Amino acid sequence: MLGDVTISAIGRGTLFAWRELGGITILAGQVLRALLPPRLDGPELFRNLYRMGNRSLPIIALTAFFVGGIMVIQAGVLVKQLNAAGLVGWGAGYAIFREVGPMLIALMFSGRVGSNNTAELATMTVTEQLDGLRALAIDPIPYLVVPRVIAMTVSLLCLVVLGNLIALYGGAFFAMFLLDLEFSTLYYSLVDNIGWLDFVHGAIKAAVFGSAIAMTSCYFGISVRGGAVGVGKAVNAAVVAAAISIVTLDFLLTAVLP
Amino acid sequence: MSQVTDTRTAISVQDVSVAFDGTEVLRSLSLSLEQGGRLGILGPAAGGKSVLLKLLVGLVAPDAGRVHILGTDISRGKEKTLMRVRRDVGMLFQNYALFDFMTVGENVAFPLARLGETEDDEIADRVSARLKAVGLAGSEAKMPSELSGGMKKRVGIARATIARPALLLYDEPTAGLDPVTTSKMYELIAADQADTGCTVVAVSSDVGALMNFSTELALVHEGSVRYRGPSHAISKSEDALVRQFVSGDDAGPL
Repeated sequence: MLGDVTISAIGRGTLFAWRELGGITILAGQVLRALLPPRLDGPELFRNLYRMGNRSLPIIALTAFFVGGIMVIQAGVLVKQLNAAGLVGWGAGYAIFREVGPMLIALMFSGRVGSNNTAELATMTVTEQLDGLRALAIDPIPYLVVPRVIAMTVSLLCLVVLGNLIALYGGAFFAMFLLDLEFSTLYYSLVDNIGWLDFVHGAIKAAVFGSAIAMTSCYFGISVRGGAVGVGKAVNAAVVAAAISIVTLDFLLTAVLP
Repeated sequence: MSQVTDTRTAISVQDVSVAFDGTEVLRSLSLSLEQGGRLGILGPAAGGKSVLLKLLVGLVAPDAGRVHILGTDISRGKEKTLMRVRRDVGMLFQNYALFDFMTVGENVAFPLARLGETEDDEIADRVSARLKAVGLAGSEAKMPSELSGGMKKRVGIARATIARPALLLYDEPTAGLDPVTTSKMYELIAADQADTGCTVVAVSSDVGALMNFSTELALVHEGSVRYRGPSHAISKSEDALVRQFVSGDDAGPL
């Protein structure tokens, strides 16, 4: 009996996951179709770039600064034991550029911007605003979804690039004050060992994570059913789906990218 | 701007059925209306009235049957066809559907602005005139969140009518309005219709006001049309359910 219940639950969960994945894929196809040829609503795009990108900068900068510090403090114990101060800059930079920067900033971005985007679109859906657009012969995909997808992708890419730099400065700051390391030691350790490929690796991840957050947050926003309860469930589902997408894509990209 | 110039049928709904999650909302429903007609749709709550209006603008696709709007078959739900037809249709939603990221002025201007055929100065003039007509002169800069339910409804009417569409669909146009404003809104809708010759369909729970406004009535109950005829004859219908709904008596089949 328990076996039947378990199999049934697994089956339901699998069907649910495939249905949502299918919905997100269809939405991605609609977004791509709307971009060929590009028919962008300029003011809507810039409005989204400002509120999603610019307004996320303070919290991302603060987070990144301390993430850099955490990296250095964690490495500090080994550095002192092995007398390997020359590796601190390389270690911190490698981890920040390739892994910690894109992933942590993407998760932060998902929590701040993705959830807000889902809530906004879901509220518009349940209050018939999307139907209002359709009734006025406006397709909500090019008008509302496409500018948000572009804005979130571009914003996260820029935020990760800036966040990585701030994390490096944070790392250097804490290394100098907590580990008594010279700035020059950190600097040469970084520039001698970190290449443009490490930077590009992280940048590609940031763009892919941004697209994934945008697609999941928009999908759960426009496919919501029910009233306020539905909006809450949609936000919850979008945050979970974005986190799973980020981790899964990170694994795949790490395996594929040089 | 769309002016009605001939006597084609504006709305033709033939044997339409619509179901959501296995629950049938419209059942083999048929209804037609000539261009320039003024039809009121009434009926008990959750009887399918709002779904019927959404069907007429292609927001709900029929599972069976045919829907022709202004001479175009929209039953297949092809996006290009729907977009073309919707340019000639104005709709007021039950929950207003005002875009909350736009000001009142931008909301009202939106149907004209998206067509791109009208100069900005003329759009501004027409927005002012429409807002004045619905009793909200000078409200252009306000956000929808600053308005009461009744004010939102009037902004919705201004937005639905500004492009002078050939077919106007009103879902509860006077819900939340006081009796005086209700009369004024129906007078405005009638004056607009006299001006443009458009076809008007209004859904309302306000039986008395709708009977006074409409020349024809349809009573929809459980997804089917139980009465279709002149407004003045509905209270003499042979159907006991129709008579009870119109009179508001406790006793009866409802």
